[in-house]
Amino acid sequence: MRTASQLKPGEKAIIEDIDNEHPSSRRIMEVGFTPGEEIELAFEPVFKDPIALTIRGTVIAIRKSEAECIIIGHIKD
Amino acid sequence: MTPPVIENTVLEKIPLITLLGHPNSGKTTLFNLLSGKKYKTVNYPGSTVEYSISHILGKYSVNAKILDSPGIISLIPCSPDEKLSVDYIFSHPKFGVTDIAVVTIDASQLSRQLLLVKQLVNSKFRVIVALTKNDLLNKKGYDINTKKLSEILGCDVVKIDGRSGEGVDELLMVIKKDMNEFDEAIEKELPLDSTHEELILSFREIGDIEEQVLEKIDYHENGKNLLNISEANKQLKVLGSGLLSHRKPDSFTLKLDRFFLHKFWGVIVFLLIMSITFTAIFWLAAPLMDLIDLFFGTLSSGAFELLGDNWFGDLIANGIIAGIGSVLIFLPQILILFLILGLLEDSGYLARGAMLIDKPLSKIGLNGRSFVPMLSGFACSIPAIMATRTIQSKRERFLTIFIIPLMSCSARLPVYALLLAYLTPGDKPWIGGIGLALIYVFSIISSLIIAGIVSKFSKRIVKETDNSSFIIELPAYRTPDLREVVMRMFKSSGAYVRKAGPIIIYLSLILWFLTSFPNYNPEISGSDTMDEAQLEQTISYEKVTHSYASYIGKFIEPVMQPIGMDWRVGVSLVATFAAREVFVSSMALIFRITEDDEDNIQTSMLGAMSDARNEVTGKKLFTTSTIIGLIVFFVFAMQCLSTVAIAKKETGGWRIPILQVVIFTGIAYVLAFVTVNGLQLLGVQ
Repeated sequence: MRTASQLKPGEKAIIEDIDNEHPSSRRIMEVGFTPGEEIELAFEPVFKDPIALTIRGTVIAIRKSEAECIIIGHIKD
Repeated sequence: MTPPVIENTVLEKIPLITLLGHPNSGKTTLFNLLSGKKYKTVNYPGSTVEYSISHILGKYSVNAKILDSPGIISLIPCSPDEKLSVDYIFSHPKFGVTDIAVVTIDASQLSRQLLLVKQLVNSKFRVIVALTKNDLLNKKGYDINTKKLSEILGCDVVKIDGRSGEGVDELLMVIKKDMNEFDEAIEKELPLDSTHEELILSFREIGDIEEQVLEKIDYHENGKNLLNISEANKQLKVLGSGLLSHRKPDSFTLKLDRFFLHKFWGVIVFLLIMSITFTAIFWLAAPLMDLIDLFFGTLSSGAFELLGDNWFGDLIANGIIAGIGSVLIFLPQILILFLILGLLEDSGYLARGAMLIDKPLSKIGLNGRSFVPMLSGFACSIPAIMATRTIQSKRERFLTIFIIPLMSCSARLPVYALLLAYLTPGDKPWIGGIGLALIYVFSIISSLIIAGIVSKFSKRIVKETDNSSFIIELPAYRTPDLREVVMRMFKSSGAYVRKAGPIIIYLSLILWFLTSFPNYNPEISGSDTMDEAQLEQTISYEKVTHSYASYIGKFIEPVMQPIGMDWRVGVSLVATFAAREVFVSSMALIFRITEDDEDNIQTSMLGAMSDARNEVTGKKLFTTSTIIGLIVFFVFAMQCLSTVAIAKKETGGWRIPILQVVIFTGIAYVLAFVTVNGLQLLGVQ
């Protein structure tokens, strides 16, 4: 199972599911990370955490530990 | 007996319009447009959540109140503060139920932000959608069909431009229309905590709505044959390309971020912006601060001359006027700080800065959002502590508040300047500059170490535990709206004056009393042989040395001796609890410096300091070791009572501020002791 925290810079993926168990999962969905949406790892600055993901036409910075609850599938580029 | 007043809330209630929306959706800009400058900012009872309330600007002739509260992204709250904001939409303690909810929605973010609108409509609110930032969407080649959106949502939709004010008239017409349609209060329903599946469903619906209302701008046929998005979608699918362009982030922003969030250049830019901010706070503010100092000095001596040399004139001149001066002296720095922060926030950079620094700060139990408050702490702890409200996790917020007093605030600067000048040989002025830089680095490092220790080893200091989270939108870069930024600058600075002002003034009055009484008119023997200046100097010396403050100083003398000080420095240190910079003026008072020494007050002060002998040991009072010890003391000691008051207010209790006073002043004392005695053991006198 891959999660958004494992994306490489510039890599795109489709969200398959959001891990319900994670304490931040509802907020993550409320800002727009829902199954079926395409995300891309846009930036990974110095410390590689938090990471910047594109979602629904904007960019959202999110800690890696929180990106772990975004379960992704592959996308052919 | 007076008859009981029955408040007729039903008939006379002025309609309440509440502004809602995501952070960065232009909510506050709209509030400022509708309210003008006449608004009040109030805290919800017993909390730190703030709202602004105003009557709608007279020129619009709409009889309604408008309320702006912190940005929310959903009606289902994630933190206690959010819960409060949401609860009060349903029932405000003062203004009742929201009659009309105006929701600001970033036009390019429909598929994210419409969630809030849906929740409000489901809760049976009368909703008006105000579409903002339409220019960003147009740049992507799209436009929103407001009529269609309004039909689908079942509420009015108005496009507005916060910068030009375009669309505000239309919004007000809709508000007026809605106000006429009030029949009876419809029972509002609190939203239920939606399940995972329900949220997915809601977002699917919103996504569909966006597809239906977005239209591609056809520049060739201007207005005609607007392509519906789903048709465009079909065409594009044939071509086999990926995301539609409205679902791509602003390309200019992505380009800039390739630089600003770059592994190497991102850090360089960050450091550069921080150093420019610092330089501006200190160097740009300096001449303005001198001016304020001069103004209050003149006012004070003017008052003295006018009211005469009696206790009343003294109270006005040295108590009240000097007290007000000590509040306003920091205003230039605070204005500049808020101006720069406003520009950085409006341009979109601040979110990036917080992102860059989140990792190292999270290591010591803080959050990327702690960054702005900590930065503000270098100007003044009071606005800095107020700025921690954006940190959602209570634990991280309290920890940030806890360490803010360790940031080297500007009130310490005059103290360091005096002490460093004493250590700096006249022919090597650069030593002072290096010394000051070292003090700053030392204070940053030690505050981070203390934060780390507190967060790792002690659950008792900051008890709160909650989910640490950092999810922040990186908004599209925009040119800041200067008018808006300046307005916010005055608003925040005003809050500083109102909140810190009274405390500092009361304290300076108490201090004035302690240093002036009971020996207000000392008898001077041999006064006929002295000239006027000498006499004045002797009187103020006698006054202070036999004042209540001196009793306190002598009382704490046993505590001062181990760090190489006597009661005179003790008095000055007691005085610093009103405000740190008071140290310099009270030292001048006690070491018999008067401004009549025309050459330079600092030179004569340094001379007096080097002549001073410890009254107990008879040794030289100010040596390299004792001065460094004093500096160390000032780095840590929690001396500012205004900060104590604000920390009490913002944490909702005395625990944190008392711990700050005990722990920081304790550390200050122990480290000053170690420094003085350690240096003397090493042979440094």
